Amino acid sequence: MRDVAIIGAGMIPFGRRDEDTLMEMLAYAALKALDDAAQSDTGHVLPPIDAVYVANMGGGMLQRQTAIASSLVDRLSLMPAAAETIENGPASGASAVKNGLLAIASGYYDCVLVVGGEKMREVTGWRATDFVATMTHPQAEYPYGITLPGMAGMFTRLYMEQYGVTREHLLAISLKNQEMGTLNPYAHVEMALDRDGIFDSPHSIVNNPVTADPLHLYDLCPVSDGAAAIVLCSLELAKKLSKPPVLIAGFGQATDTQTLQEREDPTDLKAVTIAAQKAFAMANLTPADIHVAELHDAFTILEIAESEHVGFFPKGEGGKAALAGKTRLGGQIPINVSGGLKARGHPVGATGVAQLVDIVWQLRHELPANRQVQGAKNGLTVNFGGFGNNVLAFVLKRVEQ
Amino acid sequence: MKKEIAITAYKCKQCGKIHYPYHDRCLVCKGREFEKMKPEGDAHLLTYTAIFNLPWGFDQRFLIIGVAEFENHVKAMGQIKVDSVDQLKTGMKVRPSWEPIRVQYGENVYGLKFEPIE
Amino acid sequence: MAVDMELEAVLRPIQYPMVPYPPKVITLANGKKMVIRQAMREDVPAILKSVHPCLFIERDYYDIVSARLYGELLAWYRYRVKSEYCLMGQVDGYLVGVVNGRLEDEKVGMSYHTLAIDRGLRIGSHLFAAKMEYHIEYLNQDAVLIVAESPIGFRRWMVEYPLEATKIPHELGGGDSYRLTREIYLKAKPRLVVGDRPVPQDLMDEAMADIKFADDNTIRERIAGLKGR
Repeated sequence: MRDVAIIGAGMIPFGRRDEDTLMEMLAYAALKALDDAAQSDTGHVLPPIDAVYVANMGGGMLQRQTAIASSLVDRLSLMPAAAETIENGPASGASAVKNGLLAIASGYYDCVLVVGGEKMREVTGWRATDFVATMTHPQAEYPYGITLPGMAGMFTRLYMEQYGVTREHLLAISLKNQEMGTLNPYAHVEMALDRDGIFDSPHSIVNNPVTADPLHLYDLCPVSDGAAAIVLCSLELAKKLSKPPVLIAGFGQATDTQTLQEREDPTDLKAVTIAAQKAFAMANLTPADIHVAELHDAFTILEIAESEHVGFFPKGEGGKAALAGKTRLGGQIPINVSGGLKARGHPVGATGVAQLVDIVWQLRHELPANRQVQGAKNGLTVNFGGFGNNVLAFVLKRVEQ
Repeated sequence: MKKEIAITAYKCKQCGKIHYPYHDRCLVCKGREFEKMKPEGDAHLLTYTAIFNLPWGFDQRFLIIGVAEFENHVKAMGQIKVDSVDQLKTGMKVRPSWEPIRVQYGENVYGLKFEPIE
Repeated sequence: MAVDMELEAVLRPIQYPMVPYPPKVITLANGKKMVIRQAMREDVPAILKSVHPCLFIERDYYDIVSARLYGELLAWYRYRVKSEYCLMGQVDGYLVGVVNGRLEDEKVGMSYHTLAIDRGLRIGSHLFAAKMEYHIEYLNQDAVLIVAESPIGFRRWMVEYPLEATKIPHELGGGDSYRLTREIYLKAKPRLVVGDRPVPQDLMDEAMADIKFADDNTIRERIAGLKGR
């Protein structure tokens, strides 16, 4: 198998992009990634794009548009490149990257474009909530009115009871990630939260109401529009470019039961553990070697639980670590320096790709000082699908030229 | 008239593992033969939540939903008949019933409901 | 504009006496303090300056809500509506939201509109709650009739309180009214109506000084921009 590197990365600002169609967002992000790769290609060694993988979860339901990848290659004039749309729930982004990775690693393709995008704000909150809830079991869960925040609420209750996670711990994640969002021009939410306004003050009952007990409004990521893209090629080829290649050193994916109740221990996110372990084993690295991580904090509890399941902290310690500032920029392991899903936003198909884009920028040391993890060499991403029933992890590594 | 709980669970004929919902192969031993079973008796609450941002199709302000385990170890999700989560605790006994859980296309859809037992 | 006071006496509807709304201050999610206070009739031309840019924003029905609010406030200013009032929210002296309504009679209120000029801070929720507080607790009314013109309004008022459906036509036209009764209000109050009184003098002075207004582009960006929530 060949080593595969990321040689181009691009993203458009997440938010409410009423003016743009889904296809426009995908095209804008793709062009940014292609231009980024081209800039690096001063010796004109890059071959044309062989294949395009497009991550999207809701085009069929929300835009009534299917075969999105075929449409995108046409728009980008990339014919006759191979193209397919990857739908894997909120893990679609990382799944699309995986497909690109395997295609190049196998030697079949030389240069691949991966784009992830979602347009969710076209519909009302009720419809968007219903769309996301279609991931749940169609007979045993969905008819009851369960939502993904509801699943997270049930999970949080168990996690609080078994591991002593408190609202203070969850609050530490909301405050940290929204603070980082104010520094990220790509973030949907650019508003820092105030502890008094969302927790201590009696007025917080209106500002930060219970949304999926015990989770509150600011424990949830926003519903966003957005797109992100990367360009992949073999490491060998990447070494001929001017920007430092970012090696996909490790990758892992694992699944779990669809319903929480059928898991032996519903607080055990086995798919996260296995995906991360596989990624670390392939990269020949350990959690202690990671300098920066983008974890899937669709709900604050998930950042805590994932930080434990990937091995940064022992079980029950993730919340305390966050409260102690260990996951902030400058801390032991900076998590979601981008603001995470919580602040960057969560256009479901885009998220898994956007996480990689942010880590690429970190490992190339391209970010402004207030967001850059100094000297970062190794990064981790976790993209969490369903309620932990399909999880992908990537370990990325800066390769010095 | 009280309706029968129209849920079928599946017990693996090979290893005894109880499944709900249905799987084509046993989650433990991959066996393909199952004995159908009905949830029996009361249940105890494993976890629960109150959801305030409801999906399309629900007009109420909030829904309280939980997962409970029946006396014969079938586990299932249901709506909980209380006004507030303050009336709930994990591990508490709940009585199941089969009642309308939502309206779709003008028709009642039936499903599991749980009610705390005093 | 020259006003013929003899004709005016015929044209102007009667006004019920209304006790003033006592100002309150609310800490928002970003830690800023929002003062909610009653607008004076002479504040109207200034308030309309902030409503004006919203007339051209289609997102979330801002155009229809602000067009109607513009007309209602102007009608109040020109004495063409019965017993109207207006409450407003200010942060750092800047106008961030407006709500208005009127008295149908001494016991029944007619809710008009809620316009949040800054978003993502639940300003609309706080202002709507203040409006209900005014009708029930200070004007001592028994009920308020309400309709929603946007899905967000429907979710915030009809679903969150929750309001009861009636067959009473609302004067904004369209559908039948929903009704907030004293009983519904008192039940919802602990989770929806907040605020501290009295407002500290420095905040009150800031609010009572000339009302500050964000420029049109800032208002449009806050409501209809990429970061709109």
